[in-house]
Amino acid sequence: MSGPAIRLEHLGKRYGRLTALKDVSLDVLEGEVFGFLGLNGAGKTTTIRILLDLVRPTSGRASIFGADCQTRGPEVRAQLGYLPGEPGFYGDMTGEATLDLLGRLAHTRVDPASRARLLDRLEFAASDLRRPMREYSTGMKRKLGIVQALQSDPPLLVLDEPTEGLDPLMQDAFYELVAASRQRGRTVFMSSHVLPEVERVCDRIGLLRGGELVLLSPVHEVRSLAGRRVRVSFAEDVTPPASWPDGCDLVQTTPRVWELRVHGALGPVVSLLATRPIADLDVQMPHLEEVLKKYYSDSERVALQTNAPAS
Amino acid sequence: MRSATLVLAAHSLRRTRPIVIGMALVLGGFQFLLTQVATFLLRSGGFSLMPSLIPDFLRQMAGPSMLTFMSFTGVVAFGYFHPIVIASHLGLAIAIATEPAAEIETRFADLTLARPMVRHQVITRTIVVLVVAEAVLLLTMMTATWTGLACCTPADAPRPELATIRSLAIMLGTVTLCWGGLALAAASAVRRRATASGTAAVAALATYLLDYLGRIWDPARRLSTLSPFHYFEPSSLVSGAPLNVRDVAVLLGIGLAGVIASYAIFSRRDM
Repeated sequence: MSGPAIRLEHLGKRYGRLTALKDVSLDVLEGEVFGFLGLNGAGKTTTIRILLDLVRPTSGRASIFGADCQTRGPEVRAQLGYLPGEPGFYGDMTGEATLDLLGRLAHTRVDPASRARLLDRLEFAASDLRRPMREYSTGMKRKLGIVQALQSDPPLLVLDEPTEGLDPLMQDAFYELVAASRQRGRTVFMSSHVLPEVERVCDRIGLLRGGELVLLSPVHEVRSLAGRRVRVSFAEDVTPPASWPDGCDLVQTTPRVWELRVHGALGPVVSLLATRPIADLDVQMPHLEEVLKKYYSDSERVALQTNAPAS
Repeated sequence: MRSATLVLAAHSLRRTRPIVIGMALVLGGFQFLLTQVATFLLRSGGFSLMPSLIPDFLRQMAGPSMLTFMSFTGVVAFGYFHPIVIASHLGLAIAIATEPAAEIETRFADLTLARPMVRHQVITRTIVVLVVAEAVLLLTMMTATWTGLACCTPADAPRPELATIRSLAIMLGTVTLCWGGLALAAASAVRRRATASGTAAVAALATYLLDYLGRIWDPARRLSTLSPFHYFEPSSLVSGAPLNVRDVAVLLGIGLAGVIASYAIFSRRDM
């Protein structure tokens, strides 16, 4: 297994009395898509800005591909593409001039054909590229931001709220671009509020709350924390059993409908139901949202932490 | 790959090109106009009448240097220390020097500094643009002065020497670069261009007035040595004195201190 693409070690950042980050440690492995979650002000953007050396940590250390982000900044940034949460483009510059300028500042030469493919995939017309950016909509600016981050095909992509302002079709196009980057062995570190998006594209997630990392886990393991929701309808009135199998919680019962939450295997529940007059059985996979909303509000720190990427 | 400094400098020069060219044309036109005003006054005998038109109290307040300015050379040279000309130069210098703050404010710096470059390249870029823009202004002004003198003045006119015009331009350039350096220091420490440019502009105005006060009111003379404008002495150049190297060194020294401070602050700050 390769080393970490990103390593945060006891990272802390204070702005005067305000603690923006507190003792954050995590590894993001090469080739994985990592979702960095948290509510507004949780510290996601501060972490990203430390990775880019735009902000200096108060304590701890951040490194990318083994190089310290603060002491070897240019070397680190030569290997990453960055999409800021609010890209600051000059309104009087055209999209093309902006991409050219940022491309010239990159470490590697931008392949025009590769850039053209990116623009094409994001449905960015050549005529739009020649317009001043003050005429761009929020979505167009976001698409241009994605292109500037991906155009030199760097080994690491750091994306801050990448789909903010994109329409659903462009969101799909973006997810495909992320998937393609991953297939090429690129690492993606993205912050997001959009949990279905994280569920769809990320291998692992880290969740920040109040500057602290409260959850670090593969996505499928987080989902399993919520358990599957099982809804059983009966053909006639049935009496609930006195005891339920392990890992099975009763959510709601009526004489003809049971709603259960099942953690782990479904077998014992199916055995229990087999002797009863089932009319319908609906098993729903849990959504990340169900689990994470809990962590957004809960105060206890979660023990589930692993550095193993999802397969 | 081209140096990031050059890429950024080219980008900034492209963006400032319209205003630099526009100002160069206006200031160049002003210099040319002054040569024609001087020629008119020479032909009409105005220089001999002018001293009698000035009230005594004003002449005493301004000192003997006033008579220097009531000459062909004085009128031609006036364009290098006219308050509006000085304000134009300082205004452009402050606008250019505060670009780092503007880039942080607009978040354009997030995009550029996320590239493999070091922070001091942003400051170096700004200095390059500042020097190039100021050089363009001064060369245009000198060219306009010399064109006006060469083409449209009588052969017997007491034209100023090229060295005098050059010294005046150097003096104006050094005071501009001095304030450019100070504005750059301000811009490297704040997040808003308006804060940096406002601070630099207010400081420039205050020290200009302090210097003026020191020239007309003895008790303020000592305090006025704190003003960079104290070392901006065009009147002695107009009366034929050579360029005061000490004054130039002081002005460049202040500017350099601002530049060094800006390198130090910008490399340590959070963006």
